[in-house]
Amino acid sequence: MIRQLFLFILCLVLFHRATAQVESTAADSLLLLQIQNQMAQTNPTPAPVQQRTSPSTNPDISVIGDFRGIYQSNYTRNFDANMHETEFSFQSTVDPYAKADFFYSVSRDAHTGEFKGEIEEGYLTTLSLPAHLQLKAGKFKQQFGRINSVHPHALAFVDMPNAYVRFFGEEGLNDEGFSLSWLLPNHSFFQELTVEETDGPRDNPSFARSVKNHYQTTGRFKNFWDLSDNATLEFGLSAATGANITEHTTNVGAVDLTYKWKPVKFNTYKSFTFQNEFYYSNAKFDSSTVNALGFYSLINVQVSKRSFVTARYDYTNKPTSAQFVEQAVSATLGWYATEFQKIELQGKYTTANESDEANNFEKQVYQVFLRWIFVIGTHGAHQY
Amino acid sequence: MKRKINISIIALCMMMTNVFAGTIRVVTTTQDLKSIAELIGGNKIDAFGIATGYQNPHFVDPKPSYIVKLSNADVFVTVGLDLETGWSPPLLNSSRNPKIQKGSPGYVDASIGVTLQQVPSSINRGEGDIHIYGNPHYWLDPMNGKQIAKNICDGLSRVSPENKTFFEANLKTFDETIDQKLKIWNAQMLKYKGSKVIAYHNEWCYFENRFGLQIVDFLEPKPGIPPTPAQLVKIIGEVKSNSIKVIISSPYFTTSSSDVVAKQTGAKVLTLATSVGAFDQIKNYYDVFDYNIAQLIAALK
Repeated sequence: MIRQLFLFILCLVLFHRATAQVESTAADSLLLLQIQNQMAQTNPTPAPVQQRTSPSTNPDISVIGDFRGIYQSNYTRNFDANMHETEFSFQSTVDPYAKADFFYSVSRDAHTGEFKGEIEEGYLTTLSLPAHLQLKAGKFKQQFGRINSVHPHALAFVDMPNAYVRFFGEEGLNDEGFSLSWLLPNHSFFQELTVEETDGPRDNPSFARSVKNHYQTTGRFKNFWDLSDNATLEFGLSAATGANITEHTTNVGAVDLTYKWKPVKFNTYKSFTFQNEFYYSNAKFDSSTVNALGFYSLINVQVSKRSFVTARYDYTNKPTSAQFVEQAVSATLGWYATEFQKIELQGKYTTANESDEANNFEKQVYQVFLRWIFVIGTHGAHQY
Repeated sequence: MKRKINISIIALCMMMTNVFAGTIRVVTTTQDLKSIAELIGGNKIDAFGIATGYQNPHFVDPKPSYIVKLSNADVFVTVGLDLETGWSPPLLNSSRNPKIQKGSPGYVDASIGVTLQQVPSSINRGEGDIHIYGNPHYWLDPMNGKQIAKNICDGLSRVSPENKTFFEANLKTFDETIDQKLKIWNAQMLKYKGSKVIAYHNEWCYFENRFGLQIVDFLEPKPGIPPTPAQLVKIIGEVKSNSIKVIISSPYFTTSSSDVVAKQTGAKVLTLATSVGAFDQIKNYYDVFDYNIAQLIAALK
């Protein structure tokens, strides 16, 4: 029965293909005739010029500038100003079945000091899979924890949390592969399960690209509740497993919890966010196993329509050393001119029990960051 | 045995579709669209509106809970143009619901066929939040309400052709009610035609033109830019020289700057309804105009 049905569909498809073929050749010869007629005329009349009033098929294009001024106590040269990142984004639907997002980022290479461009993200997302599934393919920021998938310019602070940088580097988990997410059929609150299979990152403190068939698997289970019209709670459980630099396995788990209060009526004037994220890593090396912990906790308050204040506490080990303990406190003042421009000023104090290269071998570091974000073009909305 | 299971699964599926065939699940971006959808769809639909009536429709937070609503919707109705551009596209993309994507039968753009006002000839963000297609607050003209209702009726009929005559009958009733009420509203406003007013944000042009008001200036120096002291000084001068009686605000703007102008000039700050549900007593689309006109008349007297 099924085989017959399949054959019938196959016949239909082939028949359709065949007729389409015939039509197109007929159209081709008609076109050829028209071209020949045109060429035979000595003075071809110019075609009327189409006024550019119709919408174009160009994707949504935007450029985001991230300019920074930095003071750091741990270098002989204390002040620095740099164009930290220039992000070019191109976003559009591909066809009725998918959309595509590209983010091309140009930034200064930390080692060579030269500007370097790279595909920060470039992926296809399906729009019409059945069973509430969505598939992503390409290079993307992985669904792991709360801030990993967020572009830094959308965050309310300038530097990434210490735990995040120690565990996953400045760029975080950003890899090539597939991502499948499923919206659970729960009608009372939002639940989404995402599973990702990727190549393995090339430059990451926790993971490495294996020379063997050892790929990276990441997953996040996101839960979201409306506590009231004005308050929401997000709770996420994440896990990542893959090869590390020694070709052994590293497993990292994460828990994130975010409470947000934003009065619906005056949501452009006031808000309060309490956000926490914990990482726990279990890394096997040639002769040892390291269990490391890291977390951050932050409070973000919108004081008025345009001003925000953020306070953050960071605590972290290194995935390679549980003895290393680093802590930091920071405060950020944000001024948002419009949706397209904001300035942030952050002061940060970091203290560690061991000096290391990242701190330029100092145990106490003072930093001040000034960040100016500016956007031109049609930059899409950010996630809640 | 296998065949039996297959048959029972098919039977179960058919039963389930029968259960759900009763109601069409409609999600609208605003409460006005929800109200009109309910007036057209009657008991055949179950509607949910995302933005509340007292919320700024430009700045709705795309909460994941709305994705749950959209994932199960049969019809999605949007004000369109670029009103919801900051929040509805990511919600639609995450809904995983092919029935309501742009171009699908369940996607209803309520702005189709509406004659737009303030269509810019060039776009420059230096002028503030400029709407590239024209002013999107078109539902504040009841005549446009008829066009919205027609678009919703068409959308519901595409998804549920068996109820087409039912929807069309409701559309006819809606159109007639608007025509009747518009006569009353126009008669009420006749005495105040040409009245000069100040508004907080540029969102009243359709209402202004329908009912013959004349908006002289806005508290926002440019759309989306909060009032500056210099702008308020300018407004105070304009209010005094034109003897303006009313400053129109919306529920989602703080009235601190309007109050300053009111105090300096004696003009009255009127917070009008931009949507159904802006205030408790505004239950449906007709109430928006009943309320606003009653408020205006009381203040302009």
